[in-house]
Parts: sequence; structure tokens; C-alpha cells
Amino acid sequence: MTLAGITKRYGGVTALDDVDFACSLGSVHAVLGENGAGKSTLIKIMSGVVQPDAGVMTLDGRPVSFARPSDANDAGIVCIFQELSLMPDLTVADNISIADPPRRFGLIDRRAQHRRAEQLLARIGCEDVNPLLRVRDLPLSRRQMVEIAKALAKDPTVLILDEATSALTSADVDRVFDILRGLRDDGIAIITISHRMHEIEAIADECSVFRNGRHIDTFAQGSKSEAEIVQMMIGREISAHFPPRPPPKPPEALETALDVAGLSWEDRLSAIDLSLHKGEIVGLGGLDGQGQKELLLGLFGVLKGVTGEIKVAGKPVRLAAPADAKKAGIDMALIPEDRKTEGLLLPMSIADNLVISSLGALANGILVDRKALQQAVADGIDRMQIKVGAPDDPVSTLSGGNQQKVVIAKWLMTDPAVILLNDPTRGIDVGTKQEIYRLLRDLAEAGAAILFYSTDYEELIGCCDRVAVMYDGRIVNELRGDDITEHNIISSALNISEGTAPEAAS
Amino acid sequence: MTSISDQAGNKTKPWLSPDDKPIVIAGGFVLVILAVGTAYTLITQGTAPLLSPTYLLQQLQIGAFLGIVAAGMMLVILLGHIDLSVPWTIAAAAMMATAVGGPMAIPVGLAIGLAVGFVNGVGVAYLRIPSMIFTLGVNAVMRGLMVAHTGGFAPQTAATDLMEFLAGGRILGIPVAILVWASVSIGAIVLLTRTTIGKAIYAIGNREAAAYLAGIRTRWVIIAAFCLCGLCAGLAGTLLAGYSTKAYQGMGDAYLLPAIAAVVIGGTNILGGRGRYVGTLVGVILIVLLNSVLSIMQMPEAGRQVIYGTVIIAMLLVYGRGHRVVN
Repeated sequence: MTLAGITKRYGGVTALDDVDFACSLGSVHAVLGENGAGKSTLIKIMSGVVQPDAGVMTLDGRPVSFARPSDANDAGIVCIFQELSLMPDLTVADNISIADPPRRFGLIDRRAQHRRAEQLLARIGCEDVNPLLRVRDLPLSRRQMVEIAKALAKDPTVLILDEATSALTSADVDRVFDILRGLRDDGIAIITISHRMHEIEAIADECSVFRNGRHIDTFAQGSKSEAEIVQMMIGREISAHFPPRPPPKPPEALETALDVAGLSWEDRLSAIDLSLHKGEIVGLGGLDGQGQKELLLGLFGVLKGVTGEIKVAGKPVRLAAPADAKKAGIDMALIPEDRKTEGLLLPMSIADNLVISSLGALANGILVDRKALQQAVADGIDRMQIKVGAPDDPVSTLSGGNQQKVVIAKWLMTDPAVILLNDPTRGIDVGTKQEIYRLLRDLAEAGAAILFYSTDYEELIGCCDRVAVMYDGRIVNELRGDDITEHNIISSALNISEGTAPEAAS
Repeated sequence: MTSISDQAGNKTKPWLSPDDKPIVIAGGFVLVILAVGTAYTLITQGTAPLLSPTYLLQQLQIGAFLGIVAAGMMLVILLGHIDLSVPWTIAAAAMMATAVGGPMAIPVGLAIGLAVGFVNGVGVAYLRIPSMIFTLGVNAVMRGLMVAHTGGFAPQTAATDLMEFLAGGRILGIPVAILVWASVSIGAIVLLTRTTIGKAIYAIGNREAAAYLAGIRTRWVIIAAFCLCGLCAGLAGTLLAGYSTKAYQGMGDAYLLPAIAAVVIGGTNILGGRGRYVGTLVGVILIVLLNSVLSIMQMPEAGRQVIYGTVIIAMLLVYGRGHRVVN
């Protein structure tokens, strides 16, 4: 498949500028670039979601144009999008066959559909997913696997993965890569977008770098160093990946910000003991779905029926809703998992989104003080260096990284003392990730206590002073300082017996 | 601009914001209605009564009752909910206000509205029953209570003088009902644009989960919005009783669908989250004028209903094409 001279404009913004791109059958082609570099637009054009303003696409030497995604599917181009495209209330089997269910006498053949789902799930090593479960009831990583199974059901000749591994655990990623290698050897062209450099190293044959809507370069994987690639993507020198970790403070200098004792919730959390100190970044590690998200939600007052004790700054508190957790004196903030559905009000303006959590503080009696509001919005945009056109534009017009900055800025306006983050760097570009790491360290140094869940071990290793590894709703190990290594996190995450586990933090 | 903006949706800068476009279209349609009506009267009678201040003030006075109901309805629709209990909230407020009489008549009417709104709010926010079902049930309950109260006969009570003055009186030639509507409108505008609860209403209408996680007390906001909607219906009922000097069964029936239509014609998304109050004002005026002009043109009832419905659907089609959700 080749693209020549493709240009796409959204209003005044040029998303792709005269791009030439080619991928060949039987190879894995990685597309790299910061968010807003034009990767997603490229994929949308290839899969028929949007139409280019100029340029030609050819497939197998024939010029093609797709008016809608189903045209592209018919031509064998199948895309797995970053935003999950599954219907939450349908079963896994229904979702996998949604575009073309097997029929018998004109009616959907449920049994054939079920069989097909089982076969496809088995092919990607997901035998544990029951095809009759509703997608809503699956954890995010399983949903992503279902998404991949759904794409395979269409028998692609060109398979496009847009951040398809960002919600997966390392074990799943390995499995998906094995499948992708198999598909490649069967002669399928695979295009993948990922922000995880080591994944690209593991799977890609060729790499193309995009920046600001332009195709910068294409090269064989391995011919350029990681630093060179990052340099190409961001167009500027980067000094260090993670900000330096300050030396650990002596125990007597530690001030407890949040103290949790015996926190339990249904069968997902059992007797969690954890304390956060001021100025400390604590990571939550472990495999996906071991209760990390529930712990963050439980601390923030979202879950009903949480037992155990939560003390904030030494005082026991009862939190029945996020509004309680936000109150003065408790000052908690939660950056939720999914910015599009939980973090942002997508159709509303950037300004409205920024101030939505701090309106109470900006109100002057009943009325909101407009000047203070504008000032707060300007400060927030400035502080996080959010790239916006106008604050009144809908927040949905921003790129993923900038949207996440809006979510963070929204909570910084409440001056939180305890900041909970649920995988805040998922699906955002390297440059923004680094800004977020830097910010977390700055916030910690300014006295905030940070609890940080990430599916990316590298982040936990690079960012955190301490990592609590969870397994099956419990904290099984706490790693500190130099003990925070990938090996230690993984062995704790798999709950390997004490003998082989590293010395637990005393 | 056209082909690109169609595809790119919200990424382009249209000359009108998507929230303003329906208001401009509806405003234009109001002028079209006046023009068609005037052309008709000029041809048949040789006069243009539609453009006289007396006629317009009279229409606004009639529109005031609908306008007050629509203001409350808009708050609830912005949340992504709906209040179908409005007809019998109006009737109940009117009946109880006239039954109590004296200086307590109006407070009682308003209190009835507030109470019904509170029950609706609790049902939707805490019991998590879909508002369409819950408020429909409350409407039936109110109807039953009122039939029991009157024994099924027309109530033999009359509106107080103050109620009649508020609904039918004039100050400096301007009907007082219009002034009441104006006050409600100013209140609604301030609420929606300048207060925390107004912003929270939009936030909940866009995505309740995100609003909740942002630390908004979503249940309180929902209850407050339903209370205000009930209060508006109670006020409208009290005024209506004053206007017709008495309360009667089914007096609110003619207000439910026009109120929803006015809100939606004014550009408020029926699924919640976006819309401006000015649009609702224009929507009310459009509906009142359309009804009036059709009756001046001596359109038979059947034809009026068809035209009325067609206009609402046609307006929404026009908006819908611009509002297409992109991603």
C-alpha cells in the first residue's frame, strides 16, 4: 500500500502536509511521532474514516479511495483504534461479529457466532474470556484483546494498530506480538502506532517518524538509536528521560499525608495498609486488574461500602463522594483512568473543563467571579503549557496529550495535598509524558503526596520513590529506592514466593 | 469552506457557534411567520394587525405561561432528563392555590410545585429511576390526588385578586405576566451562565460520570434542577388560575409538549449538555406566534396540528445536520 502527496486540512490546521508513505506486505511498520504529529489522521485516511484533500492512495498498485470505513474493510484494511470501538452492553461474541455475523436462514446463527468468537479468542491466547460475557464486565486490557480478535475476524491484508497495546499488560503485549509476527509471516502488512519505544524495538521491521504533519524519515528498525529517534520526533534535544529522584528523607522528617489501614471492598480489595508521606511519589504496580484502580477509587470516595480506616493528615475521614474528597482539609485529587469519559466533558470548552472542579472557590457569594475565572483559566493553561487555540474551543479539539494536561490542570487548581493518578500517561506522546514526570516531581517537592498507578513499569521505576505492588487486591510487596527494578516489580506482581522475591522493603 | 467543514466538524471555526445557529434560525422563522401572517391579513382584510403592539403584547402575555414552564423544563433537559409531570403539577398548583385562597394562595401554589419537583428529583437522583418513567408516574399520581380532592367535579373556587393581577393586570400598559416571565428569564440566565450550579447542570448533561469525578455533588444538582422545574410549573399554574379566574381539571395538559418543543427548537440538545436560554425564549415566541397565525388564517384544527408538527420536525432536521457528532 502506498500513499503519495496526501494532504489533509481541518479548517485552518494542516494535519498532514504532502505525505508520502508506503508499507509492504509481510512487514511490520511502526509510525512514530508526538501526539498531533498526524499519525492518527494518516490512519484515519487509510481506513476510510476521513477523506484526504489531496493525494492518491494505491493498494496492490491500483488507485483506491474509501468513502467510508466499510469500503476500507472490504479492501482488507482493518484498523484497531486507540479508542475502543466495542459496544459495552453486547456480549463479546456479538461484538466480534458485529459487522458481519454468521447467518442461517437470514437470522443470526448464535452458535456459529459463539464458535467463531471462541476460535478467534483462542488464537490470541484469550481462552479465559467467556464469549457470552458483556464487554462492560471485562477489565480494559481484556476488552483490548477482544478488539484485536474482532479485527482478526475480518481477515485483514493490512492491519493497523493505533495505540492498540497501550492498555495491555506486558504478558498480553508479548502474546499480541507473537500473533502479529505470525500474521506478518503469513504476508499481512502491519502498521502500528505506539509510544512505547521498547515495544517498537521488539516488533517493528521499519519505522517512519512524523512531526507536525510531515513525514520526516523512514528507516529500518535498529539503524537508529533510541535517542536519535526521540530527537527526530520532538525536534529538540532531551536531557534526561525522568527527573532525578531526590535522596530519601530520614524517617523522622517524613510527614504523613494519607494513612490507610485495613481498607477492604467487596472481593477486590482486602486489608490494604498504605501510608503516603508529603513530598513522596508512591507507585502502584502489579498486573492489570489486581485492585489498583479500585484502591484509587476507594480512596477518592467513589466506591460504596468500603471498610477500613482512611486518615488524612492524621484525622480519620469518611468519604462518601468525590465532592467530600475534594473538600478543604482533605484536598484530594484523582486523575481518572479514561480522560475521554471520566476526566473531561468533551463537548464543553477548555475553560469550562479547567474550572469545573474549582468553581466553588471562584464563586463570589452565589455568582461566579468572571475575572477570577478568566485569570484561573489563563494560569492553568500557562502552568501546564497547554497548546490551545482559544480557551473557548471545545476540549475535544485538543490532542490527547493536551487533553490530559487539561485534566491535570483542572485538579491543580484545587491545590490538592494528595494526588491520585490512574495511569495518566496512557496513549500520550513522549514529550508530554516527560512534562508530566517533571510536574509530578515538582508537585512532590512542593509538598504534595502522590499515589501513581501505571501499567508501564519503566515509569514506576523512573518516577517513584516507593512502589507498592498489588496482587489480588492486596499489597504484596513494597519496593524502595534501588530495589525498584523491573525484575523485582515483575516477580512481586506475579506473586512469586518469598524465596525468589527480592528482599521486601523492611 | 463547505466540504471541509462538513468533514472536519468542530475543528473549523464556523461564523456562528453551534449553540447560536438554532437561535438565529428560529429567530428568522419567527419573522417568516409574522411576514406570512401579515401578507395573509393584508390580502384578506387589507390591514396588518399582526404588527400592532397590542397584538404582540397580547401574544407575549399568552406566551408567558408557556415561557415559564419552558424555563424550568430547560434546566431538566440540560441535565439529560425530562419532566413529564408538568401538566398535573400545573393543575395541582392552580387547584390548591384557589382552594386555599387569601394571602397564602400563591405560596401554596409554589410550594406544591416545589414539592412535586423535589419528589421527582429524589426519584431520579437517588432511586435512579429514569426520569421519563418516574415523572410520568408522578403525573398520574398528582392527577389521582386532584380527582380525589375535587371528587371529580370542577372545583368551585376562584382565584385571588393578586393572582388575577399577576396574570391579567397591566403596569404602564405592559401585561404583568410578561414582567413575571421576564423575571423568571433573568433568573434562568443568571443561573445558567453565572453560578456554580448552572455550570454543574451543563457538566452533568454532558457526562455525569466525569462531573461526579470532578467533585460535583451531582445528586444535589439534579434535585435542585427538578425542584426549580416544579417551581416554575407551580408558578405557571398559579398564574393560569389567575388568568382564567379559576382552576380546572386538565388545565396543564396543553403545556407539556409545547414546552419541550420550545426548549428543543431553541437549540437545547434533547440529550442534555448544551443549549442557551435565549433559544428557549425564541422557541416559546415561535410556538405562540405559529399557533396564533394559524388560527387567524382560520386553518382547520387538523391542518394546524399537521403544520405545527411538521414545523417542529423540520426545524430539528435543520439543526441536526449542523450538530452531527464528530468522534
